[in-house]
Amino acid sequence: MAFTKKPLAALAATALAATLAACGGGSGDDDNGGGSSSGKAEKGGDAIFFVGPRTVEHWDPQRMYIGRDLNNSGRLFYRSLVALPASNDPVEGTTPVPDLATDTGTTEDAGKTWSFTVRDDVKWEDGQPITCEDFKYGASRNFATDVIIGGPANYLFTYLDIPTGDDDLPAYKGPYSKKGQELYDQAVTCEGQTITYRFKKAWPDFPLSIAQLRYLDPYRADLDKGDANNFEIISNGPYKLDGDWKEGTGGKFVRNENWDESTDPIRKAFPDTWDFREGDTDEAIYEQLLADSGDAQYAVTERRLPPALFSRKDEAGDRYTQVESPYVDYVLPNFNSPVFKDANCREALKLATDRAGWIKAGGGDNYFKATDSVINPSVPGYEPNPAFADIPAAGDPDGAAAALEKCSAPKPVKIKFTYSGGTPTSDNQASALKAAWDKAGFETELDPLEDTYYAVIQKPDADFDVTWGGWGADWASAGTVIPPLFDSRINITPDSNGNDYGNYKGGPEVNQLIDDAYAEPDLDAAADKWAAVDAKLGEDIAYIPLEITIFNFVHGGKVTGYANNVSVNGYADLAVLGVEK
Amino acid sequence: MLAYVIRRVFAGVIMLIVMSIVTFALFFLTPIDQESFICGKNCSAAQKKETAAAMGYDDSFINQWSDFAKGVVVGRDFPDDPKLRETAPQTIVRCDAPCLGYSRERGDTVTNLIKDTFPVSFSLAVAAFILWMAGGILFGVLAALKKGTFIDRGVVGLSLIGFAFPTFFVGLLLYKFVAIQWGLTEIPRYTSIAEGGIGGWLSGLTLPAITLCLFFMAAYVRMTRSYVIESFQEDYVRTARAKGLPERTVTFKHALRAALTPIVTMAGLDFAGLMGGAIITESVFNYPGMGKLAVLASSDFDLPTTVGLVILLAAFVIMANIVVDLLYAVIDPRVRLG
Amino acid sequence: MAPRVRVASVTHGDEVKMTIPGSELEIHEAAVPIEDDAVVKVAGRSPTQLAIARFRADKLSMISFVLSVLIVLCAIAAPILVAMGVLNPNEPHQNLLSDDGVLPKGAFGGVSWDHPLGVDPSLGRDLLSRLMLAISSSLAIALTGTVITVIIGSILGIVAGFSGGFIDATIGRIIDLTLSFPQTMMLLAMAAPTVLLLRNEVSDAPGLGFLGKADLANGVFVIGILAVFGWPPVARVVRGQVLSIREREFIEAARLFGASRRRLYFREVLPNVWAPVLVYLTLLVPAYISAEAAFNFLGVGIKPPTPTLGNILAHSKDYTSGDPTYFFLPGFLLALIVVVFNLVGDGARDALDPKSHR
Repeated sequence: MAFTKKPLAALAATALAATLAACGGGSGDDDNGGGSSSGKAEKGGDAIFFVGPRTVEHWDPQRMYIGRDLNNSGRLFYRSLVALPASNDPVEGTTPVPDLATDTGTTEDAGKTWSFTVRDDVKWEDGQPITCEDFKYGASRNFATDVIIGGPANYLFTYLDIPTGDDDLPAYKGPYSKKGQELYDQAVTCEGQTITYRFKKAWPDFPLSIAQLRYLDPYRADLDKGDANNFEIISNGPYKLDGDWKEGTGGKFVRNENWDESTDPIRKAFPDTWDFREGDTDEAIYEQLLADSGDAQYAVTERRLPPALFSRKDEAGDRYTQVESPYVDYVLPNFNSPVFKDANCREALKLATDRAGWIKAGGGDNYFKATDSVINPSVPGYEPNPAFADIPAAGDPDGAAAALEKCSAPKPVKIKFTYSGGTPTSDNQASALKAAWDKAGFETELDPLEDTYYAVIQKPDADFDVTWGGWGADWASAGTVIPPLFDSRINITPDSNGNDYGNYKGGPEVNQLIDDAYAEPDLDAAADKWAAVDAKLGEDIAYIPLEITIFNFVHGGKVTGYANNVSVNGYADLAVLGVEK
Repeated sequence: MLAYVIRRVFAGVIMLIVMSIVTFALFFLTPIDQESFICGKNCSAAQKKETAAAMGYDDSFINQWSDFAKGVVVGRDFPDDPKLRETAPQTIVRCDAPCLGYSRERGDTVTNLIKDTFPVSFSLAVAAFILWMAGGILFGVLAALKKGTFIDRGVVGLSLIGFAFPTFFVGLLLYKFVAIQWGLTEIPRYTSIAEGGIGGWLSGLTLPAITLCLFFMAAYVRMTRSYVIESFQEDYVRTARAKGLPERTVTFKHALRAALTPIVTMAGLDFAGLMGGAIITESVFNYPGMGKLAVLASSDFDLPTTVGLVILLAAFVIMANIVVDLLYAVIDPRVRLG
Repeated sequence: MAPRVRVASVTHGDEVKMTIPGSELEIHEAAVPIEDDAVVKVAGRSPTQLAIARFRADKLSMISFVLSVLIVLCAIAAPILVAMGVLNPNEPHQNLLSDDGVLPKGAFGGVSWDHPLGVDPSLGRDLLSRLMLAISSSLAIALTGTVITVIIGSILGIVAGFSGGFIDATIGRIIDLTLSFPQTMMLLAMAAPTVLLLRNEVSDAPGLGFLGKADLANGVFVIGILAVFGWPPVARVVRGQVLSIREREFIEAARLFGASRRRLYFREVLPNVWAPVLVYLTLLVPAYISAEAAFNFLGVGIKPPTPTLGNILAHSKDYTSGDPTYFFLPGFLLALIVVVFNLVGDGARDALDPKSHR
């Protein structure tokens, strides 16, 4: 359930990202389809990664849930059973290949049981062999919900064959308290080097979730210190942490001598060291990258070129790249609000929404692309949503004014827009929406919130009328988009609306559609069913889609083999990147 | 003297206790459920409860405070859970006295976090302190001696302008233009003496220290000037003059000495406050000191870190107050301690 | 006991100007020997008249006074002009922005006849309107904060000075306690929960003029922080002042006539401490304007679209190279306002206390 925190700070993991502008040299190196620039990468040199103002929250594999960190750790120091190859091909780049396992997993009951065999020639950074038990232990940590907080454990809770206790959580409480250990030992078993996972229901794209997230990574029971290991890295990949990770400053990675290149088809590990630097503002990072001076020549970043500096992109030449991201931003009418429980009022809001103004305020066409569905076009199940496809990007003020006549709320219709503010872009974008809504006859009050945003909008009795949301699929399935956002059964409880911020309740019809789509074992047929659910959501105006974020990146001039691969959501693929010495 | 010191220290400790209780009340009595921020987004009510219990937030604030106080005196275990001690003792973190708490977000004891960040803030404070004291006193005395002249007006005017621009604005100017766009200095990054030697340490410090010093210098110029002018009007200076002492002696031995006493003591207090981190300067220059730590901690509702920092900083200031009062008594013979 | 060092408690360790460094005001009561030639001739007037005469004789003070009046007028006029539709701080003009980005078309941030100071990036709102309204809101925050600070400080100072003994000691300890808190850190840590709380409190309140409800919650928090941490120096100044007045004849006389305590505090003493308080007030306003900006840099304070000098600066800091006009203009405006108000304060102090240091 990846989510984006701020309009310009999308997180999360998902599948495809098409390269819009493969600037420069292009595909000189074998399978790096697009987004690559500059010369061929070679061993050696010291590379830098600018982490930026949004610091890493967890390096614990079971706690990570931010696309950037999932990608980077998977490319440099964490391996799992399967992984995605360094490729920008929309199919190849999203198809798992064996990594620490010998194959991509086998199932004999259409996804209800999955088995993997762990290679026996792979080691941890201290030389210990990686065993099946390490994988079993790693997965078990997800259940210690009082310690291992923040990760995507919910998927395992939903699927793994462990009964639910009185508190609606699994009866197994993780390896620390060992409560219900026998339940877990039945659900996940090791025979020699073969690990088997047993689920309550079929999970056809389970391997993809392993490749995209890190929650099933192996972990060392003998080195596990629980929460105190939040920033400890026990590497099994090409690099290991040199010294401590310091939050706010970063850390330095050096080569891990116990990683054997011959066991690893994905990671090229060109640079000798990786220096992760935290805390700089986007402006400071990009002023340096644009000037291509000093350390910045050896640097890449996941931060986006700030719109204020976009006009200087030509200074960067072919060091500038642009990719479409897997994230979609949207606004949600609050179904609990006295105004928007009326469908006519939602219709007016939908027609009044000025996607063009929002996009312009956020940087223009180089930063966003107007969209018509909450499902990203790269995810199977996307189809232009008929409810939104025909509205002009700037909205339909006249149609909106007409619809507003039918709205039952007292005129002028006063609404409150609560959004995740605090960045110049988000504040300006909200102002642009307000201007258009007000033009159609609404009277909008803007209510920007920063750190407390989710605490406020997740309360079912919150008094906002409209709010903002952003989302990217966890892996290429609409099943990681629609249910997490709109299935009231899993989201809405008396004191929280989960991710269903708009408090949308689809009722029996929508619930049935969702269950049918989930139950469909054929992934293509499932995609069609998800599209049908999306169409129904559009009909109800459960959300109003805004845009797809477009990434604008600049990297340093001495970086080689640079590629914005679909396998890492369009970010720089650290697996194949090198630097000049 | 000794009795006085003991009494002051005792009063200081009492003050610190009261202040820590107030801090706890302020932070832990808020109606916001802190645990929901730590638990993250996909957090059910049950998970939230578990988190609150693990953080100790489900306890009354008086109990939380006494646990904290106990930690300061004898140390603490996190989490202090006898059951866990049996099943998974390796996950319990020992925090030795003086223990200021344990941060779940940062996965470390507050004491360790402060150990990491203190040298950065201290370096910045020292560098800025030297600059602003030298500059402030020099220009302040100059202005006072040349009272009413062009020089005086210039110095006072400049200091007023220096005072008028917000620190973050000045810092950004230096950072974005001097360091990045014009490339006149290296991009400021904190380098410890162990890593980069004195040279590396100094070059990383230059711009942040200048930024921080400008604000204080502006204030100290004005202050020095007025104290010096005032002391020239004091009776004993007039007496000294009347006795026919050379003007130079009068200026430096009598007037300046008297004027500088309050300035030096006040500077001590400012320095003590700064040791806790210059939040804005550290934010502008991405300096990993205690100020930056405070910003990080407040942005993710890391209460143990915030509370630890607040109480430590208060201790600095209370201690500095005692030291300064003692110092004042030593410098100024008119003050008698009793 | 050692005398409390004359410390104005600059700030607790950082760069936010919440109190005034080096201005522990020791203004002697106005009946001081007159030294000023210009004033000798007018001997025989009341001390207040003398002070005004002295103030008027000082050119720099007068210039800054006139400027400060203009600034205040501008602050009062801005919301009215907005209501009349002359100023339009929130209307976007995205057509005035460059086609492939967020920066205004044209030189100096899109200066034109319609938009004399240009427009802001990404929305194209009129910068003149925004800056004028920003002066209003910043000044409103600073003034309210100052008045509350001074009221709390004066009351506690008078009470402490007049009562002596246990009450005085208690207030003294409260002052010490307040000053030992790291203000900026408290500001940061308290902001989110407190604003959330206030937000629910004001959700039924009507907006206040051009300030919406969200603005109220943020504004009240900023003002609260300024007042809570700003009053101790005022209390100290007033207490010192009261101590010196307390023993003088007219108070003795009032006491003899059986005047009540409250009457003594507020009818007899208060009028005699107004001078230092007034000076402190003038100096506190610019300090608070500055503080508002610094707070906003740290993400605390009134949020856009309602402009304040602080939140405009917090936005414009990203445009140092993209749109320098937008970066420098608010910064210099803020500095100008701070300088002007400071000069007025300095002038007032010198006029009230000719012994002070010009």
